Amino acid sequence: MRINKMAAVPENRALSYGVFKWSSYSSTYLPENILVDKPNDQSSRWSSESNYPPQYLILKLERPAIVQSITFGKYEKTHVCNLKKFKVFGGMSEENMTELLSSGLKNDYNKETFTLKHKIEEQMFPCRFIKIVPLMSWGPSFNFSIWYIELHGIEEPGVVQPCLNWYSKYREQEAIRLCLKHFRQHNYTEAFESLQKKTRVALEHALLTELHDRLVLRGDFQACEELIDRAVRDGLFNQYISQQEYKPRWSQIIPKSSKGDGDDNRPGMRGGHQMVIDVQTETVYLFGGWDGTQDLADFWAYSVCENQWTCISRDTEKESGPSARSCHKMCMDSQRRQIYTLGRYLDSSVRNSQSLRSDFYRYDIDGNTWTLLSEDTAADGGPKLVFDHQMCMDSEKHMIYAFGGRILTCNGAADDSRGSEPQFSGLYAYDCAAATWRLLREDSCNAGPEDVQSRIGHCMLFHSRNRCLYVFGGQRSKTYLNDFFSYDVDGDHVEIISDGTKKDSGMVPMTGFTQRATIDPELSEIHVLSGLSKDKDKREENVRNSFWIYDIARNSWSCVYKNDQAVKENPAKSLQEEEPCPRFAHQLVYDELHKVHYLFGGNPGKSCSPKMRLDDFWSLKLCRPSKEYLLRHCRYLIRKYRFEEKAQTEPLSALKYLQNDLSLTVDHSDPDETKEFQLLPSALFKSSSDFIPLGFSDVDQTYAQRTQLFDTLVNFFPDSMTPPKGNLVDLITL
Amino acid sequence: MSTPYFKNKCVTQLNCTYCDSVLCTRGMKAVLLADTEVELFSTDIPPNRTVDFVSVCYSTKTCKCKLRDVACLKCGNVVGYHVVAPCTPCLHSCNNGHFWMFNSISVVPINRLDASGLNLLLWGDLPELDDLEGEDQSSQSEEQYLR
Repeated sequence: MRINKMAAVPENRALSYGVFKWSSYSSTYLPENILVDKPNDQSSRWSSESNYPPQYLILKLERPAIVQSITFGKYEKTHVCNLKKFKVFGGMSEENMTELLSSGLKNDYNKETFTLKHKIEEQMFPCRFIKIVPLMSWGPSFNFSIWYIELHGIEEPGVVQPCLNWYSKYREQEAIRLCLKHFRQHNYTEAFESLQKKTRVALEHALLTELHDRLVLRGDFQACEELIDRAVRDGLFNQYISQQEYKPRWSQIIPKSSKGDGDDNRPGMRGGHQMVIDVQTETVYLFGGWDGTQDLADFWAYSVCENQWTCISRDTEKESGPSARSCHKMCMDSQRRQIYTLGRYLDSSVRNSQSLRSDFYRYDIDGNTWTLLSEDTAADGGPKLVFDHQMCMDSEKHMIYAFGGRILTCNGAADDSRGSEPQFSGLYAYDCAAATWRLLREDSCNAGPEDVQSRIGHCMLFHSRNRCLYVFGGQRSKTYLNDFFSYDVDGDHVEIISDGTKKDSGMVPMTGFTQRATIDPELSEIHVLSGLSKDKDKREENVRNSFWIYDIARNSWSCVYKNDQAVKENPAKSLQEEEPCPRFAHQLVYDELHKVHYLFGGNPGKSCSPKMRLDDFWSLKLCRPSKEYLLRHCRYLIRKYRFEEKAQTEPLSALKYLQNDLSLTVDHSDPDETKEFQLLPSALFKSSSDFIPLGFSDVDQTYAQRTQLFDTLVNFFPDSMTPPKGNLVDLITL
Repeated sequence: MSTPYFKNKCVTQLNCTYCDSVLCTRGMKAVLLADTEVELFSTDIPPNRTVDFVSVCYSTKTCKCKLRDVACLKCGNVVGYHVVAPCTPCLHSCNNGHFWMFNSISVVPINRLDASGLNLLLWGDLPELDDLEGEDQSSQSEEQYLR
């Protein structure tokens, strides 16, 4: 509970400001215009000269204040120059600003107000400067315009002054810590102790002071190892681990065969099939597909525990189930143990009014029965027959969501050589209990906030915890869509996460690369595997897969790996380092309980053998360094340094140490570690260090090198425990 | 351009009323087919570096032509529209074949002079445009990567 020191709530009022700096402006659209609110005057705004970054406006407040909110005025009509995306920064000086807000405006004529960050851990901080940075306008090729700005906050000196004092104190304290760090690095013991005594400022957590003592001052390496060991056990390295990137580990699954023949007891090669996973029983279900020549109707189950495939049905049509098909979509209701399938692709030669009915089936796992839920969902108010759509299951409310896909039609009048424009299916909801369909969103090219553009080849996932559908990517005819939006199923509300600008390239997975996505509702992450480019010209022989993770809470993408090399240095690489070849028309499912992905089959896109399909089965685990690995790594670092120190004075003893103690900390099955280990003996032949670390010229070499090791080990500890990361010397520029 | 009537019309340069930037150097004063009371300016070549599309396609009450507004790239104000797809009645009536329109309130027209500098430049003086090839109809190949 925060203690409220104020007697009454301080008044929040409009703050006076002036326009201090600007990046550019065009014509008569001067920066000063933002001080005036004239919504019916198209010229009463600031407009940048272009939309090339950086574009910004810096406002200077008349007095330092706690800036709590910012209000944007608008024009009386919608306008393409309105800011779809912008950031606001603030600070006491122009050079030193932090991000206070990242958001966007609606393209309408209403004023919009946003709260600005004005506290650091419950402590309010003041600003003198506010910087508004437009990033994107509603019309991507248009300039940025701001019509009117109001800032609101507290400027009562009684409130602001204490915050200014705190800010001042905070900066001074950090400055002292930097000095302490500098003094200690340079062994100015007296200065260090004197400063510390006088200011009583702690450089770091006591544990790290102890580590410094053992490592740098006493060179008691054994004691260091013990300290690190205890730290790892106490969970102090957990924060570091959670911030590390994942490493992918693929491994090909070779299932057990029940019979001797081997041919019939696992699914054959195919593309355009469907897989779903029942995480409770760790069973992967696979149905249908195209084997290069024809559609398939076989239905399989793979048990992870037994490592075995079982054929549930050779031909589901014979068991009142769906006919052979490919490019259908399935979803699993793990609660009720039922699987649904909708849609399929039909070659134009076999399309007619009969075959174009969109049949909809459900399979009950425990009863091993198929039920035809609808002969034609279009007749029931649902989607027409589609392919390359997406379908998701909401087990909690017993609903199914289907979005996108191209609608299959019979070829129309022959004299219209163009053919009709392709039609895409909208967003539908199926109420499983009531067996009714409802259209939630029609396909729309409008740019309204609730409008949704349909597409094919996109990814759609349902987050069972925050109850939203996440949709991204896809294609409409020749246009690749880069947008990313969420749909709140309970609130019937669309939220645009990103509208896909070119400026993001390299930072987000590119569309047009046959992506497959899965979701982990517990970690709130979306995983995307990108494979072959649909564009034959872009398909080089040495393009490999890339794997991306989207952190929903932080709204950020990170690339786990992007392997573009075909060079295989060592032909006898261990199986772990192999990965499935890039492909399309494959299937990827995710077991969020055990954190494993499974991939099956697909089309390798070999132009020389277009009918070839794959039948390989892989599992993917995303690994982060474990506690045990980090402990071993730290031990290795400490012993490696100890070896190097010994090598200067007692080379023979050092060699023995290398061969025994140091060797113990190396994983000799890892080629990188082994290689590094083999290069270490060169230290025995060096007379002195080749270079002096920058900034340590006046310090004893041993002391300097031990300090460096200390700095390395400190990085594994949480920031709240460590000394400041920067160094005083780094502030000096030439 | 079909009829000789249009060849005698002046070529006008069109500037944006809001920010005075040049929108088009080959405009023609015309009337709206669907409502001949409405005067506007039209052009044949898409003015691609001066204006860009805003919003989405729409149709009006007067005819079924599919339209899309364009705005001046400099100031962002809507200055006219593009006929994305003409409706059959409009297509079959007498028209100048232009698909890019500017509202008369949004532009300031300036009559251009010919090479001599003495006479007004007429549309008949402008060289003919080459017929643009129809767009490639490569529709399929989408289905290739599905299975």
